[in-house]
Amino acid sequence: MADRIEGVKKLFTSKSARVETNRGDAHYEKLFQSCQTRIEELKTQTPSKNRLDIDDLLEDQGVNRRDFMKWASAVTGMLMLPASFTPLVADAALLMNRAPVIWIELSDCAGNTEAMLRSDGPKIDEILLDIISLEFNETIMAASGHQAEAQLEDAMHTFKDKYLLFVEGAVPMGMNGQFGTIGAEGETMHDHLQRVAKHAAAIVAVGSCATFGGVPAASPNPTGAVGVMDVVKGKPLINIPACPANPANMVGVIIHYILTGQVPELDSLLRPKFAFGYRIHDNCERRAHFDAGEFVEEWGDEGAKNNFCLYKVGCKGPMTFNNCSIVRYNEGVNWPVGVGRGCIGCSEPDFWDKYAYERPMADAHIKAPTGGVEKTVDEFGLGLLTAAGIGIGIHAAASIVAGKKEDGGEA
Amino acid sequence: MITKQLIDQIEGEASIFFDMKDDVVDFATIAFPHFRGMESILKGKSALDALVITPRVCGICGHAHLMATVRALENAYKNAGYPIELSKKVEIIREFTLVMEMIQNHFKWIYLTIIPEVSKLTDSTRESTPLKGAYAASIASKAIAIFGGQWPHSSYMIPGGITTDPTNIDLLKVESYVDELISFFEKESIGISLEQFLSFESCKDFNTLSSDISYLESSLVTMKMNEKGFAYDRFLVIGEHTFSKPSKLKQTRPFGIDAKYVNTIDSYSPDKVSYAKNAQYKDEFYETGPLARAIATNLPIVKNMHRRFKDSAYSRVMARVFELATLLKHAKGLLSEIDISQKSCLKSVDISKITATGTGVVEAPRGPLLHTVNIKNGLIQEYKIVTPTQFNIGSSSKSNPTPAQKAMIGMTQAEALFIFRTFDVCSVCTTH
Repeated sequence: MADRIEGVKKLFTSKSARVETNRGDAHYEKLFQSCQTRIEELKTQTPSKNRLDIDDLLEDQGVNRRDFMKWASAVTGMLMLPASFTPLVADAALLMNRAPVIWIELSDCAGNTEAMLRSDGPKIDEILLDIISLEFNETIMAASGHQAEAQLEDAMHTFKDKYLLFVEGAVPMGMNGQFGTIGAEGETMHDHLQRVAKHAAAIVAVGSCATFGGVPAASPNPTGAVGVMDVVKGKPLINIPACPANPANMVGVIIHYILTGQVPELDSLLRPKFAFGYRIHDNCERRAHFDAGEFVEEWGDEGAKNNFCLYKVGCKGPMTFNNCSIVRYNEGVNWPVGVGRGCIGCSEPDFWDKYAYERPMADAHIKAPTGGVEKTVDEFGLGLLTAAGIGIGIHAAASIVAGKKEDGGEA
Repeated sequence: MITKQLIDQIEGEASIFFDMKDDVVDFATIAFPHFRGMESILKGKSALDALVITPRVCGICGHAHLMATVRALENAYKNAGYPIELSKKVEIIREFTLVMEMIQNHFKWIYLTIIPEVSKLTDSTRESTPLKGAYAASIASKAIAIFGGQWPHSSYMIPGGITTDPTNIDLLKVESYVDELISFFEKESIGISLEQFLSFESCKDFNTLSSDISYLESSLVTMKMNEKGFAYDRFLVIGEHTFSKPSKLKQTRPFGIDAKYVNTIDSYSPDKVSYAKNAQYKDEFYETGPLARAIATNLPIVKNMHRRFKDSAYSRVMARVFELATLLKHAKGLLSEIDISQKSCLKSVDISKITATGTGVVEAPRGPLLHTVNIKNGLIQEYKIVTPTQFNIGSSSKSNPTPAQKAMIGMTQAEALFIFRTFDVCSVCTTH
C-alpha cells in the first residue's frame, strides 16, 4: 500500500491544481439550468428532523437579507462560479437542512470539530450548528453513549445513500487496528469507517489526519496511520486537508453538493480546486517583500517588525496549496503568516516530516509539487516562477527566464 | 455485574466499566481506547519541530501544549548554560492567549456539556442553547488569532519570545473582543454585571440571580450534587501564572510543590485496553483544575463553597464557572499592561548548540500540563507529556482509586456519569 500512497502524492503538479474559470457561456448556462432544477426539487422535500427554518433563524440572529446576500456572493466567488449564480447559492444555503451530514471522529485531536464550531461567514457558526443537518457528531451532538450509537444507526438508515460523511482523524492500521476502537463493541476505527462509509453519497475527509494521515502518520508512524483515501474504495471522496481544515472550505463543499448534487472539481490529491488551486505564496500579503528581496533573518529583527517575507525563517508558503492567504482563519481575523509565523505546509502530504519547522526550504530537501528547490533565494525565486506558472507580481526579467524554462515542462 | 457506558461529547471518547452492587456503583474503571504515539513521533526530530507538533496533541487546549513546549525548551536552554530572558510584553501576551483558551474551553464546557446534562438529569424542559457556548468560544478564539495567527493549533511562541509584533490597532481589536465576551457573559450567562458577580462571597448570593448560571447552580442543588462526587479533597497546582499559585493543598492548607515529584504509573483497566497512564504527586492522587486553582488563590466564594460542600461535584462545577468570570476580568487587566515598544523576541543561540533536559509546566484548562524534553545537539532524544486528565481521571485499583473513580463510588450510574463529566474530560490529551 505504501508504494501506491507515494505514487498518488507524486501525481500532483501545480498545473493539475489550476481551475478553468472561464468555460464559456454555454457551459455556465447549462450548469445554471441543472442547478436550478435541483434546487427546485430540493425545495419540495421536507427538511431532515430537528432543524429550524433558516430564514427565521437568520432574522432572529439579526442577519438581514443584505448581509446574507453579501455572504452568498462571497461564497459564489469562492466556488469560482459566475456572479449570476449568487441567488442559487443563497437558495442552496437556505436548503442546507436538506443535506444530511454524518461526522465521525477517528484518530485525531478533535481540532476540526473545534474549528467547525466557529465556522465562517456572518453568523454562519450558528447556521452550521443549528441548521445544517449534522446528524451525528460525537463532540457536539446532544445524545451520548449507547443512545448516540443508536442515533448513528438511525441516521445511516434514514438517509441511506444520501448522506455526506465527514471524517475527522486518521485510520490507525497497526496492531490490527487496536490503537483506536469505537463504541460498545470495540469496533476498530477502520471497520467503523468502512461500515459508515458504505451507504454514504460521498465522503469528505476533513483535516490533515483524515486526508494524508497527518501527525499520527509522521515518522515513525507508531500506529500505522493512513488517510481515508488509502482504505475506502469505490466512493466519491473529497479531501479537505490543513490542520485544522478551514471551515470555509467545509461549508463550500456542502453548498456545492447541495447546489449541484456533485463533488466539486478536484486536483490529483482529491482536494477541491476552488480551495486548493491557490498557492499560499501567490496571494501572500508579504509577497512583495519576497520579490524585493526583503526577508526576516531571525525573529525579533527589524525585518520581523516590518512584516518582511518569512521564507528564510522556514515559511513553506511557496510549496503549499491552500486558500489560507485569502480566506484566513477564525472568521477571517488572521492566519499564521499574519503573525510572523511562516506557513508549515499543513495541507500537503507528509508535511510533518518533509516540510517541518524553522528550516528554510532550500535546506529541507523537498521535492516540491512546483518542480524543485534551488539553493539560494534568488535562484529559488526563479525556480518557482518556472514551475508554478500561476505566479503573480512577477518582475519582468524573471518572467523571460521563466518562459524559457517552462518549455522544458514540469518535474 | 459489570456494565459498560461510553462517554462521548468530550474531546475523543472514553469508556467506563461499572461494577454495580445494590444499584449503586461499587467500583468503576475507565479506559481511553485511542492512541497516536505523539511522544515517539517527536523523538529524533528537531527540538523546534515540537513547537508545531505538540499543539496538535489536542484540539481544545493545544495552546497550553504550545506554551508547555516553549517553556520546556527555554528551560533546556537555561540548563545548557544559555539562559533566556523574556520581555514583560512577551510574558503578558503568552499569558493572555493562554487565558483566552481557558475561557473558550469553559464556555463550551458549560453550554455544550454541563447544562445539557443537567437538563437531562432533572427532566427539565428548558431549551438547550449550545450555540451560546460556540458563539462565545468563537469570540475568544478570534482574540487568540490576533496574536497567535489561528486557533486551534496556534504556533506563534518560540524560545526567546513570540513571532508577532502587535500594533496598537491589534490591541484595540483584541480589547473589543474581550469587551464583547464580557458583555456576552453579563447578558447571557449571569444576568448582572461582572463586577457584581465577582463580589459574591457566599453560595447564597447565587440565589439572587435569574440566568443560565443560576439555573445551573440550583439544578446542581436539586440533584444534591453538593452532597455527592467527593474526591480526595487534596489539590495540585503546578504551573506558574499570574492567575494562580503553585501549591499542593490538603483541604485548604497549602504546601510547597516541585514538578520533579510528579510520577506516572500504568493504569488499571481489566475490561478493555487503555492507553492512558495515571499521574500522581509523590505516589498520591490529587485533583487538579479550576477548583484547585481557586483554593490555591484563596478565592472567597470558592472558600465558602469548600467550607460548606467540600470538593463535591457542585464545588467542581461552580469553581469552573467562577474561574471563567475571574479570567475574563484578568484578561482585560493583562491587556492594559502591554507595552508594545518592548522586544517581541530576544536572540537565542542556535538550537543545535543545545544539549540538555528541560521541563515546562503550565496550567491548562483542566490543570497542570507537564512537558519534559531531552535534547542532544538540537535533536529530541526523548519527550514526555503528562496531562491534567491523567491526574483527575486515571484508572486505578479499588484499593487506591483515582479522584474520578473515588468520586463515582456509591452513586447511581446516571449520577456517576454526570460526576465523571464534572472533571471536564479530555481523552485525546490523556492518551496522546
